[in-house]
Amino acid sequence: MRRKLVHHLFRGITALCALLACGILAWLVWAIARRGLPAISWHFFTEQIKLVGASGGIFFNIIGTGILLLTALIATLPVAISLALLHGVYLRDGTRKRALETMLYVLNGMPSIVCGIFGFIVFVNYFGWGKSWLSGGLLLAIIMLPTVTVALMERMATLPSKYVEAATGLGMRQSQIIWSVILPQTMSGIITGSLLGLARIAGEIAPIMFTATIFAGASLPKGIKESPVLSLPYHIFILVQDSFDPGVAEKIWGTALVMLGLVFTLSLIALPARLKIHEEAHHG
Amino acid sequence: MVSRWSFTKISTFFFSLIAAGIMVAMLVLLIVQSIPVWKHEGWGFLTGTKWFMRTHEFGAAPMILGTVLVSFTALLLAGPVGIGAAIFTSEFLPSRLRLTVKIIIELLAGVPAVVYGLLGILFLRNWIYDLLTPFDPLSGDTLLTGAVLLAVMILPTVMTLADDALRSVPSAQRTAARGLGLNPTEVVLHVSLPQSARGLLAALLLGLGRALGEAIAVFLVVGRQDNQWPEKLLSINPLIESGQTITTKLASSETNIAYGDPIHWGAICGLALILMLMVAGITLASASLQFFSRNRHAS
Repeated sequence: MRRKLVHHLFRGITALCALLACGILAWLVWAIARRGLPAISWHFFTEQIKLVGASGGIFFNIIGTGILLLTALIATLPVAISLALLHGVYLRDGTRKRALETMLYVLNGMPSIVCGIFGFIVFVNYFGWGKSWLSGGLLLAIIMLPTVTVALMERMATLPSKYVEAATGLGMRQSQIIWSVILPQTMSGIITGSLLGLARIAGEIAPIMFTATIFAGASLPKGIKESPVLSLPYHIFILVQDSFDPGVAEKIWGTALVMLGLVFTLSLIALPARLKIHEEAHHG
Repeated sequence: MVSRWSFTKISTFFFSLIAAGIMVAMLVLLIVQSIPVWKHEGWGFLTGTKWFMRTHEFGAAPMILGTVLVSFTALLLAGPVGIGAAIFTSEFLPSRLRLTVKIIIELLAGVPAVVYGLLGILFLRNWIYDLLTPFDPLSGDTLLTGAVLLAVMILPTVMTLADDALRSVPSAQRTAARGLGLNPTEVVLHVSLPQSARGLLAALLLGLGRALGEAIAVFLVVGRQDNQWPEKLLSINPLIESGQTITTKLASSETNIAYGDPIHWGAICGLALILMLMVAGITLASASLQFFSRNRHAS
């Protein structure tokens, strides 16, 4: 009898823990949606900032974040694909594979503010770019690199060896196998990893606050040097620090809601493919 | 399969070298750029409690303490909840519902730091202030506020990894234990938890690493008060006052001001270096734990 009671109690407590986690998300979405929805309108998406954020919209913030994300993606992909190929194809030695995995682990845990300082030294000062969309994009690329690489590595690990064996049997060279078998077959991993990586960096501020983004007065960048962009997360970051104007508050919530929508969309598109990989890895 | 130096292979190695080069460059740059402050302060940079940029006094101890306090408090809050929730999802929950919970946790992990910061400023600050009324706090911007916010932010990390660790325990073990007459709770306590202990510890460590490195959300609610060295270390006082962590210092406007002055910039880079080494150490510890636990189940 006592054992049964302990069991029910224990199960109840763990259930509460799980409920708490789910409850936090529900509350968070509700709190932001309730306050942010009134701000959302066609003009909110198509107008520029006016009156230090109290009116107008976030058009160039959306464009700026888009530029940063796109730059990061283009910069990350070749490196991520290379690292995954290195791990899956070229490195035969277990120790070296482990070293590569460890490197990715460490890079994955790297605090993004440290990347920001690194970028400030290298891009802003050594290269003399000042605040530039390119340095922001490259720094965000560093941050999303481990996410993309690991997703692709997992996908490559589940690729049946039959495929490679058959291709080898046809007399294909290693590079031909990579281009015509391995990469096309693991395309889903590349896409999933990219989406997850983008979701991870969409809300990052720490790497770009000193290197790429400003609060107002930037539109489309015209070059590399001294061409900052606006961005969504930085917009919230600046406004929230010193504003008690109700008009501004509405814009903050609206921007937060747009960001939440962006990140959730990216994660949800990536989800089905990920769960499949995960389940395969466990019961494969 | 003979591997020749094809164009594909060359470019693969080239891009991989870029990745390795970036990591090395980060470490080397921070070490080199922080040399002036080590020359100026010596070990005092780590142990000094005064940070005044005008008089060139740079002691990082209060910030290191702030970082440690905030991160460990966050882990103390998020650890038990995360592992409890993971036990529920992996051991008690039917698999169809498990997916739903997993999706929710994924989404929670994706919420941007600045959104947490926003909620922290508008709600959490006031809740903490009301909670601390008996202690007569100056404001709701305290290390504790930062810690609670961080706890929510690292909860998904801890939970997902703990869930993976528990799931990696072979189900044959559970079945055997049930066959001996243990009920599900006893199976968890005597089989699943001991078997996955390493993986769970790795999950906690990775959560700690995340907490150490998070800047923006903490920046918005921690109060950013310099030179807060508590009189009594082992009391609740430092937690319920405003403070400064390494990350909030790095994210402040001081980074922009410091660049022209080698010693001041050295101090900023020194802080970044300390943070980087702390987090890298914890990440490596976590990685080795996970590796050993994987190996054990494979055998």
